[in-house]
Amino acid sequence: MIRIACMLLALATLAQSAPLKFAETLREVHAPADAKTVTTDFTFTNRSNKPVTISRYESACSCMKVEISDAKLRYAPGESGTIRAEFDMGNFSGEIDKTIALWVEGDPKDKPSITLTARVHIPVIVNIEPKTLKWSLNGKANPQAIAITMKDTKPVRITKISSSSENFRHELKTIKDGKSYELVVTPLDLSLPALAIFRIETDCALAKHKTQQAFAVVRKPSSSENDHTR
Amino acid sequence: MRTRSQLAIICSISLAAAGLTYLISGPPTRSHLCDPATRKSDEICLSEISDPNGILWVDARSRAAWQKNGLPESILWNLDPAEDMQAFESNNAEKIASARLVIIYCGDENCGISRQVAERIRKLDLGPQVIVLNGGWRALRDAGRVRD
Repeated sequence: MIRIACMLLALATLAQSAPLKFAETLREVHAPADAKTVTTDFTFTNRSNKPVTISRYESACSCMKVEISDAKLRYAPGESGTIRAEFDMGNFSGEIDKTIALWVEGDPKDKPSITLTARVHIPVIVNIEPKTLKWSLNGKANPQAIAITMKDTKPVRITKISSSSENFRHELKTIKDGKSYELVVTPLDLSLPALAIFRIETDCALAKHKTQQAFAVVRKPSSSENDHTR
Repeated sequence: MRTRSQLAIICSISLAAAGLTYLISGPPTRSHLCDPATRKSDEICLSEISDPNGILWVDARSRAAWQKNGLPESILWNLDPAEDMQAFESNNAEKIASARLVIIYCGDENCGISRQVAERIRKLDLGPQVIVLNGGWRALRDAGRVRD
């Protein structure tokens, strides 16, 4: 009796699992710095013994166009297909995950049985480290530096740096022309909270990498920063 | 035979009553449940927020969704390429720096965007703790904080 119950349970579990088997549900895509769009394919096969219908598919953002091979939605047992995702890179850089939710016939409306992820890696041409310099309120006004490193094969030069606040003094140092720079920042008053946004303009040929931002902040260290006190 | 008939009558009455309830009240509401004991470490349940002061809410959904039914006083920060990522940083840096806690929500527990937005805000390292709301906008709606 127990054996039969276990078998029935196993069969029920199999019936619940996604009948479309994907070669990969996570695709890593490495895009060139100047690419405007990138495309990746998710291939799948119907491994069940029944025809499967894709009832709905949705991209998590308007930046990703999703197409199913030949717009075919019904797949016979053993039949394969491809889901193509085209990602509009906009002004992104770094790493970004974009998901596609896929419902097959019988899935609950709010719970797709398949989620596909395209992990897009977009090269960073102008690397800024750290992005933010921090000083404690009423602390010591020591100068701190932001390293700006150009990751392009061609030289990229800084053409202008502007600050949003007069509460900080800044100075640009060239370490290696077209390759690496240092932005040295010194706060002038640590008695009040303050924030400065530095706009770093470069002669980078790629428009989306041309202007970067860095921050300087004077703030009271919060007791909740390092714990889970709400 | 009598037992069978009685069982059949009871089942029919139950089914009819269930069907009628469905027709009148609609399908059952599936409200979002968040268990503080089992949620991920970078998440928070709405029920855990005891002090609303100093919280900056970040809506990671589309601009249209945020404008339609985002939490009042929330800021928009999504990963839509049509948006200006640098403007998100510069326009919101001051609010983030002066917040005690930054909580990000997207559509529901399946959307995943809030975790990526959280990572971007954390990288700015402007000071406050940055966490994700378990259940996203759906949890806010179920709690009556926002409306469809």
